[in-house]
Amino acid sequence: MIEEVFSVKLPVEETLKLKRNRFNPPDITKSTKRISIVTGTHGDELEGQYVCYLLIKWLRENPKKIKGIVDIYPSMNPMGIDSISRNFPFYDVDLNRSFPGHTADFLPAQVANAIVETVKGSDFAIDIHASNIFLKELPQIRISRSNAHDLVPLAEKLGIDFIWVHDAVTVLESTFSHALNSIGTKTLVVEMGVGMRITKEYGENLAKGILNFMAYAGIIDEPMHPCKTSVSTQNSSVHFINASDAGIFIPTLEHNVMVKKGEKLGEIIDPLEGVIKESLLSPCDGLLFTIREYPVVYEGSLLARILENPCEVNE
Amino acid sequence: MREEILCEITSLSREPLRIKGFRFGTPNSKPSCVIVGPLTGTAIDQLWVASRLVRFLRQQELENPAFIKGEILVVPAVNPYSFNMGKSFWPMDNTDIDAMFPGYDKGESTQRIAAKLFEKINHFEYAVVLEARKDRAECIPYVKVLKTGYEDVNEAQAFGLDFIHYKEPTPSDTVSLNYNWQIWNAKSFSIISGKKGTLRKIESTKVFDALIRFLSKKGMIDYAAFEGAVGNVITSEDMEVVKSNAAGLFDALAPIGEHVVHGQPLARIYNALDGSLLQTIIAPCEGIVSCKYDYPLIFQNAVAFRIIKLEK
Repeated sequence: MIEEVFSVKLPVEETLKLKRNRFNPPDITKSTKRISIVTGTHGDELEGQYVCYLLIKWLRENPKKIKGIVDIYPSMNPMGIDSISRNFPFYDVDLNRSFPGHTADFLPAQVANAIVETVKGSDFAIDIHASNIFLKELPQIRISRSNAHDLVPLAEKLGIDFIWVHDAVTVLESTFSHALNSIGTKTLVVEMGVGMRITKEYGENLAKGILNFMAYAGIIDEPMHPCKTSVSTQNSSVHFINASDAGIFIPTLEHNVMVKKGEKLGEIIDPLEGVIKESLLSPCDGLLFTIREYPVVYEGSLLARILENPCEVNE
Repeated sequence: MREEILCEITSLSREPLRIKGFRFGTPNSKPSCVIVGPLTGTAIDQLWVASRLVRFLRQQELENPAFIKGEILVVPAVNPYSFNMGKSFWPMDNTDIDAMFPGYDKGESTQRIAAKLFEKINHFEYAVVLEARKDRAECIPYVKVLKTGYEDVNEAQAFGLDFIHYKEPTPSDTVSLNYNWQIWNAKSFSIISGKKGTLRKIESTKVFDALIRFLSKKGMIDYAAFEGAVGNVITSEDMEVVKSNAAGLFDALAPIGEHVVHGQPLARIYNALDGSLLQTIIAPCEGIVSCKYDYPLIFQNAVAFRIIKLEK
């Protein structure tokens, strides 16, 4: 059932509406589990759109298997999605740095507040992002170290390529996932693919993983599939490769490959001088899980991330 | 005055981004105050104030080399690239430098800019940053002091502005320059004023005067400034948020700084197509309009006004 969870009139003949599609069993009790799938907070991240479509298609085709409440929110920043704008248009504000929001604040903060209020009470939430237009990402779940104990076992049920347990920085306190984890909804953040694009294989794998997760949580009545191997950084480390000079980045490798220490990842070239300004070499053996997609770089621009000596977690 | 480059970052196709600092006082004297102009590229009022401050201090120091006590550093603009493109944030990835402090020297471009700058400006006794409001609003000049446990709100009264907003930090405040200065032991303040993308000379002059008054009262310049206001300390509980019920064309009737009474019309909102009156926004209390929505089209539930209440 499609429901409107927030609406506000816009100045000229339009209403901004946030919608969800809810699936639930005929009988709901206090023990009925509830999951929220949220995406489209950044308007230039579209990978989650396909995942929502696949999940809703499955739920529509299998109504008798639904044992819990499934809320799917494809578009938390509708005007952003419509205008290829990462931020909330008009205000130019990053919605995912505006949580938990407040009703007495400007509109993006009101939207953030509305999202928290409507998702609040879910047992689980999955927040799907698509990196940005600059970086291509192997599908991964990001978990702050303080939440690792509770969330890593859940993340493994998604069967996603890679779980990244990282040290939180303060700014993450203003994100959707932090706001929801703080009020008791176990929330996982998925990053995959690249901004402005849909990678069908990633979407299909994540949709299967979410169905597996829902089966594990008793939200759908479906046999659990054994998860494929996941990788966690709890016992490994992630190396960041940033540009030390400005120029055009030409990658040598695709992402999702194992690299050797000293192997060339790419070059930064100067198209005016016709010279190579920097050759980027891998600092370690490991998995290249992030690669820069957008060629123009400044000093500091992130070019690649490598997970050193990934360890495997088997079901 | 010594002019120096505090931070430089190269570009593929443009001149390097250079953040310039103007240092006043005898070399190697006690670092007394750093004043940082706008970190975003649409804060024109703040750029105006900072540049006039450099001119004022340079002229005074030329006339009297002992004018400056200690050392004062002014950084008029942190983000020239964005000013030159009419953008608020970093041109490539739209990140806000004022959300990157204390910075990370091995991180992404704006994290590195924040780190390089912070290293140069983080050893002064007093620290002031000039800010425009982040939302769509114009406001009377006020001082913002964040509650961190290290703050001294009474020090802010030396600016002589009417109001001091004594504010609980939000998650996004914790990565701002103001917050991080305070955590690292500077007595830090934001002065917030004006309206993005415009030059409001009357409000800007008040900010300029407040800076001179502050430097004078703290004994950092040898100058007889006029006394200002007492500096009423207000918290969020003292603010009345007045929101629109309707959406459409916004016709504000009350300007910022106006003393309004309960029941006074503050603005009218008209249907954008047929011109019918949709709402007259009425003052819910007596007080001073500190903040007003700054665009002629308004959303439903937008914050139209903030009033500092007179009734407690």
